[in-house]
Amino acid sequence: MDEKKEFTPSIIYGLCSWCGTGGSETAGAMHLQYAENIRPFRVPCTGAIDPVYILRALIEGADGFAVSGCHPGDCHFDSGNYRARRRTAVLKSLLDTFGLDSERVWLRWVGHGEGKRFADTVNEFNDHIKEMGGNPLAKRRDT
Amino acid sequence: METMIDSRMIMTDFLAALFDKLDVAAVAAMSKLPSGEKAAYTLFTDKSGLKECVPFFPAMPANAARAISKLTREEAPSKTVAVFLRPCELRALTELIKIKQASLDNLLIISYDCSGVFPFQKINLSDETKLNAYQDAVSTGKNSEGIRPVCAACTRFTPRGADIAISIVGRSADQPLVLSFPSEKGQTAAKQLGLDVSKTVEASPAVESLARERKTAEEALTEQVNESLSGAQGLVNIFDRCISCHACSYVCPICYCKNCYFDSQTFEYFPESYFTRMTAKGTLRMPVDRVLFHLGRLSHMGISCVACGMCEDVCPVNIPVSQIFKTAGSKAQAVFDYIPGENSDDPLPLLAYAENELEEFED
Repeated sequence: MDEKKEFTPSIIYGLCSWCGTGGSETAGAMHLQYAENIRPFRVPCTGAIDPVYILRALIEGADGFAVSGCHPGDCHFDSGNYRARRRTAVLKSLLDTFGLDSERVWLRWVGHGEGKRFADTVNEFNDHIKEMGGNPLAKRRDT
Repeated sequence: METMIDSRMIMTDFLAALFDKLDVAAVAAMSKLPSGEKAAYTLFTDKSGLKECVPFFPAMPANAARAISKLTREEAPSKTVAVFLRPCELRALTELIKIKQASLDNLLIISYDCSGVFPFQKINLSDETKLNAYQDAVSTGKNSEGIRPVCAACTRFTPRGADIAISIVGRSADQPLVLSFPSEKGQTAAKQLGLDVSKTVEASPAVESLARERKTAEEALTEQVNESLSGAQGLVNIFDRCISCHACSYVCPICYCKNCYFDSQTFEYFPESYFTRMTAKGTLRMPVDRVLFHLGRLSHMGISCVACGMCEDVCPVNIPVSQIFKTAGSKAQAVFDYIPGENSDDPLPLLAYAENELEEFED
């Protein structure tokens, strides 16, 4: 148990320029605290996140990968978030087939004004990955 | 079920009739190569070479959908071309049409119930015993010894979406061809061929029994693949031998990209990058990105994978690529109730979206 508490997961957080990053800015403006071990990266739209980015992160050392973008109906590019959702569905199905944890990938919509939701998502995901433990694939040298 | 007609033509007559009665500009089918050992997909523009034509030769040196894509991608042929396609090649063609890499205009699609093919390296025109055993299996509706595992487990072996369908499973090789004409183009062709439509033929029960055998084989294959793949260890074990030649993607009919992402500059790292990775993991196996390539390729084309088996045929280190892709692909396809190549009107799942859907994949 102690070991799990000390484990600091490496988490990548893909955020779209319009809503996801907006949420993180709002969280900042609201002075909300959230886990510091996430590494956010900004994409023009969640629809631009190729599943290969996520796979690569998971193979090269990340313990979890979260994606946040505009709520359905709010996408700046109209349907990029729907594309992201379909791609995530395919990716999760593949991860399940290969006996990898599809739970290491999260998709959750966070709107520009939803600072609290952003901070909560980060903390929740961080706890969730801590609970799951380290990603076995990430430690392998022979992938 | 379409009405099947006794055409009273054997293959040579049928091929000649395509030129004489349907006035096609060309016929594309497998033909013997001069070496006398192998066959290749060939375009005949007149009747003179047709005696070399072996449309049912059980090998797939390339998925013919790629050839048809080359013939039709920029513009449709100016005159009708009759093309022989195996059902999986036809499904691949349908997928290519959806991504605007081929067109059906001025094509007359001839397909047939497929008994599977041998691995390309393992069958020659001179292998009489093998070919005779194969023919016996076709006429009795059984899986022939030695065909590719992915063919033996293929349950979509009937020619859906063809203009002219030839029924061969459960029939002997020397009897006249039994044809059906499921499409409008096909109906017109039937009229031009001047067939006596009253001479109908019953469907062979062998098709049903083959379907059952295939279904059982498919379930066994899925179970075996799932078992061998379990977890990070299974995944690494399976792709351990991969030499990163990417041949599987070059022969894949669905992988149409001219510049594959995995061959792009993205994967040409600076030396520094290797050192960073080495430091993080202790050692680094070269070439890198083998598991990433296969999983990534699956995430790109798995939804359209028609399980034609080409990838496995060309793998120089005998990784069961096609068996894995068929299994993982069908699971991903099931998320969208999508069967690749089944229906040209079904949009590609990654190109069609709805506002309220797939909420179970959100967290």
